Amino acid sequence: MLALLKGTPITCLAGSAPPPFPIGDMPFITLNPDHPPDGVMLREGAWPRVLPAKEEDTALAGVTGGPWVDSNAAVIRLAQTKEPGKQVWLTYSPPGPQDIVPVEEYVRPIAEAEAYGARWVIALDGPFAQGLSSKSERALGVWRQMMSVLRLFERRREWRAWQPVAALAVVSSFQGGTGLIAEEFLNLAPRRHLAHRIVLASDAAAASFAPQKAILYLEAAPPEGDARSALLRFAENGGSVFAPRGIIQAKPVEIRQEHAIHAHGRGRVITPLDTWEDPFALARQVHLLLSIREDVVQVWNGGDMNSHYLSSPDGRRAVVHLVHYASGHTQPVTIGLRTPYGSARMTTAASTTTVKATAGGLGIEIPVGEFSSYAAIELDV
Amino acid sequence: MVRTHSAAAGMSRRDLLIAAGMALAAGRVAAAPAARVAVARCPDYSTGVLPALRKMFDGLGGIERLVAGKSVAIKINMANPLRARTGHRPAWNTRWSHPAVIAAAVSLIGGAGARRIRILEGSCEDDNPLEENVLQGGWDPQYLLGAATNVEMENTDSLGRGKRYQRLKVPGGGLIYPSFDCNHSYVDCDVMVSIAKLKEHPSAGVALSMNNMIGIAPATIYGDAAGFEEPAQRPFGRRGMFHTGRRQPSSIVPAETNPDSPRDAGYRIPRVTTDLVAARPIDLAIIDGIETQTSAEGAAPAAGARRRIHLVTPGILVAGFNPVCTDAVAAALMGFDPGATRGTAPFEHCDSTLELAEQAGIGTRDLKQIEVVGVPIRQLQFAFRRYR
Repeated sequence: MLALLKGTPITCLAGSAPPPFPIGDMPFITLNPDHPPDGVMLREGAWPRVLPAKEEDTALAGVTGGPWVDSNAAVIRLAQTKEPGKQVWLTYSPPGPQDIVPVEEYVRPIAEAEAYGARWVIALDGPFAQGLSSKSERALGVWRQMMSVLRLFERRREWRAWQPVAALAVVSSFQGGTGLIAEEFLNLAPRRHLAHRIVLASDAAAASFAPQKAILYLEAAPPEGDARSALLRFAENGGSVFAPRGIIQAKPVEIRQEHAIHAHGRGRVITPLDTWEDPFALARQVHLLLSIREDVVQVWNGGDMNSHYLSSPDGRRAVVHLVHYASGHTQPVTIGLRTPYGSARMTTAASTTTVKATAGGLGIEIPVGEFSSYAAIELDV
Repeated sequence: MVRTHSAAAGMSRRDLLIAAGMALAAGRVAAAPAARVAVARCPDYSTGVLPALRKMFDGLGGIERLVAGKSVAIKINMANPLRARTGHRPAWNTRWSHPAVIAAAVSLIGGAGARRIRILEGSCEDDNPLEENVLQGGWDPQYLLGAATNVEMENTDSLGRGKRYQRLKVPGGGLIYPSFDCNHSYVDCDVMVSIAKLKEHPSAGVALSMNNMIGIAPATIYGDAAGFEEPAQRPFGRRGMFHTGRRQPSSIVPAETNPDSPRDAGYRIPRVTTDLVAARPIDLAIIDGIETQTSAEGAAPAAGARRRIHLVTPGILVAGFNPVCTDAVAAALMGFDPGATRGTAPFEHCDSTLELAEQAGIGTRDLKQIEVVGVPIRQLQFAFRRYR
């Protein structure tokens, strides 16, 4: 097994205790949640997938009727926001005998974690490990795909410093009464391809929201002091601020999507008619009040897919990570972007191909094609 | 009250249909009216659409008498799912009425003096404003809203901006349903326009201006997740009951007349369509056959379908004041015999909506009685079934 690691981007072994066999020069890192390695935040990962139900041929549904998707995106991004200097490592015990995971599924958790700038601590279940030991072509093929994804992210380390392209900033302490709603909002927004950046409430006063069109201040009480001033200034300059009632005292000009819309300068201050309680409804309402027109990326034939759009500091290069949570291949996926990039390449675990952008009704459209688990669309102005 | 245009002086189309329904009830088949149909060649969705449609309207005798000073409802075709595409091709080019055709119609209707134009479509996925759904399709709704003055949009799969659902009764009692409760916009209008795609349909043979009206029945009442007593607050799920009859609509509306009738989609869909068109008559039918797809009405082949979906460019526009006549000409342009009955293409697995609508007195499907203006059918015929 150790021979498989030679020449791969895997540089260490990790676990709760060293393995009972010699590991040669390979360093071993003890994973103890109470004492994580330096520069690392340990988080328990979920196996990213559309959650299957107990009955055959069905998927577990969320409250909305749509399939329930387990994703680590929100956990990773929130951890990164809270401790920006550290890297997130996701741990996950190998699936047990009751939870059969086809080996082909092993590419997704690695790709998802890397797409969001984290690392997935690879732990193989028995059948996969056995397949590799016995040099099964199927297991080895998947292993090669896993290493191919890791190599892609090693070659593109700069992506880790790139910032999300997003019309919306979600500002919250992610604690207290609204903490759960705020975290769940981060989980549900990607289902709608509602791109967002995350800002801690304590940073709101000093943060620059220049690239954003809207700020969602997701706290139980309206902001005060400098944070309030910063948010109102953002609205005065043409932005939309979603905040709890009481942030301003003015008559609304419109009631829509269970929110009161107040004109403020060149922008809007939008307050809920009632307290925010349902994160699914909130994600939908914010999306519609902001308008799909402001979506920085649209996805067609995406099914259960996350998109994560990052841009280089000079804005000349970008990448759209597409993570497909269902098993098997996607339909032919198309993405739409507002920025008229000149060239585009699609990289999957299997290959890299040039894709040609065409003019769309709202910008450019890129025919990404079919893939399983993960694709990166690299873009150049 | 629904007031609709009709060539017959002094009688609205609704009056005619009521008379036809009464005749049917009395065991007599009413003579179905015939109306002129305009056909034009239009190779693409560029600048040629507007002049082509203008010429077609002129060929029909003009639309001023129909729309001047009137409130016009335009039911477009944007069938769910909103984010599904046939391959990479936008749904506007494959299974939805294209914005270029809708905008041209809006511009001409506005230019002819319409007081208000409301663009309508439901979505059984959500109750988003229709503008947002157009954006989901990848198009700017402003392109449509700015095509004339006083243009609005509404998603009609729920109450929308209305306070309550409005009941549309089917003259003569209906083939499946005696009435439908719909979004207010289908009653709060003087003129009904159906802008459909030229396409095939697994349970109706063809999906043209009449089949487009299936979408006026709100999913809150007729959808898979409709409330059993009261309508659901938000729409969710397709109108499975129209296909299978496995359940009845919310109990605030009349259930189907004969629950022992066949549960087969090929029996039900043509009849439900006929009921809807009888309940909410179409005053102007426009069919976009510039670009479309063969075989299926959705983005994927129907279950068990033997034919693949092909993206095709027939380059055809069809328009007329009578939806049966217009659909009959469109079916002929697709290479089908509009006089065909169940068992013959395109109605191999279903009854003919054209036949049922003719029997209901809505219009004739007899090409000999229909005057075709513009390009003759034989010159533009595009045989859908040559694509396997």
